[in-house]
Amino acid sequence: MIARDRNWLLIFAVCVALAIVYPLFADGYQLTVIRDALIFGLFAASLDFFWGRTGILCFGHAAFFGIGGYIMALVTLNDAIPFASLLGIMGAVAGAAFVAAIIGYFLFFGGIRGSYFTIVTLAMGVICQQAAVSWSSVTGGDSGLIGIPPIEFDLGGLHVDLSQDLPSYIFVSAIVAVAVLALWSISRGRWGTVLTAIQDNEVRAAALGHNAPLRLLVTFVLSAAIAGLAGALYVCMAGLVAPDLSGLLLSTEVIVWVAVGGRGTLLGPVLGAIFIQRAQQTISSFNPSLWPLLLGCVFVIIVFVLPDGILSIYARLKSLFKGRRRAQ
Amino acid sequence: MSDILLQAENVGIRFGGLQALEALNLTVRDKELCCIIGPNGAGKSTFLNVLTGTLRPTSGSVRFLGHDIAGLPLHRIARLGIARKFQIPSVFPSLSVEDNLKVARWGAPSPVRPVGELLELVALTNRAATLAGELAHGQKQWLEIGMALAIEPRLLLLDEPTAGMTPQETLATAEMLLRLKGEFSIVAVEHDIRFVRALNCETLVLHQGRRLRSGPFHDIETDEMVRDVYLGRR
Repeated sequence: MIARDRNWLLIFAVCVALAIVYPLFADGYQLTVIRDALIFGLFAASLDFFWGRTGILCFGHAAFFGIGGYIMALVTLNDAIPFASLLGIMGAVAGAAFVAAIIGYFLFFGGIRGSYFTIVTLAMGVICQQAAVSWSSVTGGDSGLIGIPPIEFDLGGLHVDLSQDLPSYIFVSAIVAVAVLALWSISRGRWGTVLTAIQDNEVRAAALGHNAPLRLLVTFVLSAAIAGLAGALYVCMAGLVAPDLSGLLLSTEVIVWVAVGGRGTLLGPVLGAIFIQRAQQTISSFNPSLWPLLLGCVFVIIVFVLPDGILSIYARLKSLFKGRRRAQ
Repeated sequence: MSDILLQAENVGIRFGGLQALEALNLTVRDKELCCIIGPNGAGKSTFLNVLTGTLRPTSGSVRFLGHDIAGLPLHRIARLGIARKFQIPSVFPSLSVEDNLKVARWGAPSPVRPVGELLELVALTNRAATLAGELAHGQKQWLEIGMALAIEPRLLLLDEPTAGMTPQETLATAEMLLRLKGEFSIVAVEHDIRFVRALNCETLVLHQGRRLRSGPFHDIETDEMVRDVYLGRR
């Protein structure tokens, strides 16, 4: 247990160190590519925080990403609102959390679990995307909203302006690092242990005095809030928001990032997101229609062959060799 | 009167056309040990489900310390001081033995016993770091009893605590319960007559959802009617 925590912190430190030295070797464009990938990494970590600890898969997590993105866009595009960037981020986080709280309340307290939860959240994602397309007077319909300004605010005399590549890269990296560290410390302690117990046997946990539905709900809301934060950051960096950001494809992609990186590790999904987006760019440059096909195949293979993610290959090989040695 | 912990009065339950329980009464006093026995299908587990509030009786009432507990959420019932050990060992397989007990303590409103003492009580001190899923069957049952103890219950309800145990483990479990007898009330639903004999306590015999006999085990054991039912003559 202790050794596992130490390994995690070690890998985390290495990742932070890499993120710090990366600007020394990269040009502006490469920085923005990694920055955007990190935002999606944060999104993946938010899904993993819920899925990895409760074993319940949310198939509409992009809905929260999209809600965060749209709220951020609407707030910052409105000239009448002061401190738009900060208020927008807060609104995005609160909005995603609010929607998750309402949907989660009925699902968790109604006893909906497992694949039924997955199906309902799938429908939720589709509804959100459809709402973004249809409610065109507010959301801009299919084409979305453009011209979203970069994040800019004053905090205690410090003026933060993220219109340049390097500051925005540093800002995003810092937020991702802090958020992942915070989620990790929540999920390894008492909160996470009880969640594991609920995942093992919910009735038993309740018979010991744990309010399982409430705990699942709070975890889900926290996960959605982080997804909303990622959505808000993304639209400011990209400068636009579109219905795709709450769509089924993104919901599927984030599941693949988590599955590839290793469910329950929090850090793995961030790396998975960066790695897969890199692959996507390379493959799409040959043929744009090839990517969704490949993504689907990777998903199926991961689910059947490597349910614990690509990082688990190492552990599997190790146990395989151990088994061989014992057999000899 | 004031030492009555659990009182079931005139409890009946119907599942569609089937009268599963009829006019059952049970009074459990503080720190009392009692057993419910009966042949398969007599309604033992159904009655236990009613006693723990998981099933709402169609007639009659169950009161714990004067509160009606029928239909309360499980975790609220646990916090009132009712612990339950399920028939199938239901520990948390992906947590260590120690974490299992910790999770149990965290659920309690005011845990008293430290984890180390709990480990000792259920004879699992040297398995503390083992994953609960890897324990032997009997050890899982003991771990479950330890988890039930962790929430410092007023009342411990055991559903066939010795199911699947070897005769030695069964007797060891009976001894474990007799040691705990003075601390809180225990109600055990059991099929294994050797176990009930070892406990030698107040016993309620169910047959086809009704009370057949009740009294000290010694009287029950010598009762002709009980023997007939157990041997299948009726």
